[in-house]
Amino acid sequence: MKVTFPQMGNIYLAAKVLCEGLGIEYVIPPQNSRNALNIGSLHSPEEMCLPFKIMIGNYIQAIKQGADTVILTGSCGPCRFGEYCELQMNLLKKLGYNLEFIVIDMPKDIGIKELYKRITRFSLNSKKSKYKKTKALLDAIKVMNLMDDIEASAHNLAGYEKIKGNCKSLLNNCKTDALKCKSPLEMINLLIDYKHKINHISIDINKNPLKVAIIGEIYTVIEPFSNLCIEDKLMDYGVSTKRKLTPSWWIKNTALSPTKLNSIDIKKGSKEYLPLYIGGHARECIGEAVLAYEDNFDGAIQIFPMGCMPEIVSKSILPTISKDKDFPIMSLVVDEMTGEAGYITRIEAFIDLLERRQKDVLLRC
Amino acid sequence: MYYLGVDVGSVSTDLVILDNSMNVIEKIYLRTRGNPINAIQEGFKILKNKYKGIEIKGAGTTGSGRQIASTIIGADTVKNEITAHAVAALDKNKNVRTIIEIGGQDSKIIVIKNGVVSDFAMNTVCAAGTGSFLDRQAERLEIPIEEFGDYALKANTSVRIAGRCAVFAESDMIHKQQLGYNKCEIIRGLCDALVRNYLNNIGKGKEIQPIVFFQGGVAANKGMKDAFENALGFEVYVPDNYGMMGAIGAAIIAKSYSEKAKKTKFKGFEISDSDIKSKSHECEGCSNKCEVVKIYENNNIIGYFGDRCGKWSNKLIKINENLLA
Repeated sequence: MKVTFPQMGNIYLAAKVLCEGLGIEYVIPPQNSRNALNIGSLHSPEEMCLPFKIMIGNYIQAIKQGADTVILTGSCGPCRFGEYCELQMNLLKKLGYNLEFIVIDMPKDIGIKELYKRITRFSLNSKKSKYKKTKALLDAIKVMNLMDDIEASAHNLAGYEKIKGNCKSLLNNCKTDALKCKSPLEMINLLIDYKHKINHISIDINKNPLKVAIIGEIYTVIEPFSNLCIEDKLMDYGVSTKRKLTPSWWIKNTALSPTKLNSIDIKKGSKEYLPLYIGGHARECIGEAVLAYEDNFDGAIQIFPMGCMPEIVSKSILPTISKDKDFPIMSLVVDEMTGEAGYITRIEAFIDLLERRQKDVLLRC
Repeated sequence: MYYLGVDVGSVSTDLVILDNSMNVIEKIYLRTRGNPINAIQEGFKILKNKYKGIEIKGAGTTGSGRQIASTIIGADTVKNEITAHAVAALDKNKNVRTIIEIGGQDSKIIVIKNGVVSDFAMNTVCAAGTGSFLDRQAERLEIPIEEFGDYALKANTSVRIAGRCAVFAESDMIHKQQLGYNKCEIIRGLCDALVRNYLNNIGKGKEIQPIVFFQGGVAANKGMKDAFENALGFEVYVPDNYGMMGAIGAAIIAKSYSEKAKKTKFKGFEISDSDIKSKSHECEGCSNKCEVVKIYENNNIIGYFGDRCGKWSNKLIKINENLLA
């Protein structure tokens, strides 16, 4: 068995640690690129959303490197993500690839027995002891938490840094170095080291940068290729950004969901405008918009793939929040486009708008 | 003292020269025709012959081609269209509350509160109802685009046309033609449909309050102005230089910048004689595989575009620093 998984933000680092800890063979698909998108959109249904297309590209690239098993998280929610695994299995079978899918779903949807069965199917190939297996899992979670922390610090501190571009280059170096690590322990130590470095970057605390919250559909906000690297762009503009949806948030949220103690702040924030779960992360999007306002952010940017049902619902609610609270929110829809001109115009105009609300001047001409 | 504004859009490239009190003393409208470099050079040739020896104190660019334009002409300021349009409208009338701007590819709404842009929206993934679509319909009906609006005003009734999608709209128009409606009625129906699309799509959730300015190339179309007024129930103003507002805004922004900086990077109108070329290649530096575009002026590299990590564009900054040192 040689496992692979779709690329999504920094998950590949945690997956690398997990597979190495378990002693399972794995393939990391190449970083998302136009190539993956081209392969994906060639084989996917035309009206399908962007994440699906990129994932298909990932699988086919990974198959060429010998992968035969895909690990994927599932959902039985009303959003079409719930059907991804079935559709993808059929699609790949039609293309003549024989791929096994292991879909990790919530116990409330498939039952704890079924979940256990699926997990054992994955870990059966590992000859490690139970203790070592648990340790591998914990290491992977640790790596994910560390990486998300580093990324969050970099995005936040980019607005305060004394030397422009420091945060961005440190973050990029961190990712490149982490991929080169030979063992889980090495990567954890490296990440701790980088976490220290990024938190001690020279900053100017008197600066008052614009603060923008990134909200929206989880795949497109986490995966930089799909959102045309919006966070990198905002770092270049010297804007502090914050994104609540991260892989580590997702794990924590999923683990806590049976107890209903998950994301209490988001639930509270969204209560007035969208008190129900309608699938996807629509409720989170609304809740985060309200939280961003309460946390004195200057604005929020919603990102979602074309045709995403839950996010379309939240897109239609956001103007009401924006009006009620006098809080600027912009929606960006991403699709197969890689020509960025129009996209940059929207981001720049939004930053201009926020800046002029702060003070009526023309900066960054 | 004069200021230059350049707006490189998808359909047109506009150049304006403003005097010190922000009066337009020259405006040039050119078709971009998919080649912004050529269009800019063509415009500069006209300016060079007409304005020998005048001093340009500042130059600004805007529009989707603003980056490439700024590299070529040596602009002091590079601003997005939304800010540029708002700046130009506010310079005309301080009490503007809403700007409707419809250009070649994009339509926008800009909401202004207390003289500051407070909200804006742009068409998201669809360009139905923009200048290019009207252009294409005018061509299909064999009516000069300048007269398109007059046809709409001649109609007695409006025919219902599907406005959501350009492809649907076109086939709907063709079906209505086959049913025997005349051109005027169909064109009026089209204008109504596009306004409906605009208000439902771009203007959704935005308060449109007077004074409303209608800008961009499509504002030339009287049928569209009329349809907007019918739908909104109050007058919509089309400013004198409706098609040039982006370029005017760019020039005003350049002025406010260069007054502070007291210098300009503008290279002069002579670049119309330069040999400007672009070459692209795929960078193999990392898995991003960015498509990097190089701009050459007389075989010297003057600009890099498209690299995410800054590997190429930073190179140029270093070269410039060395030149200055």
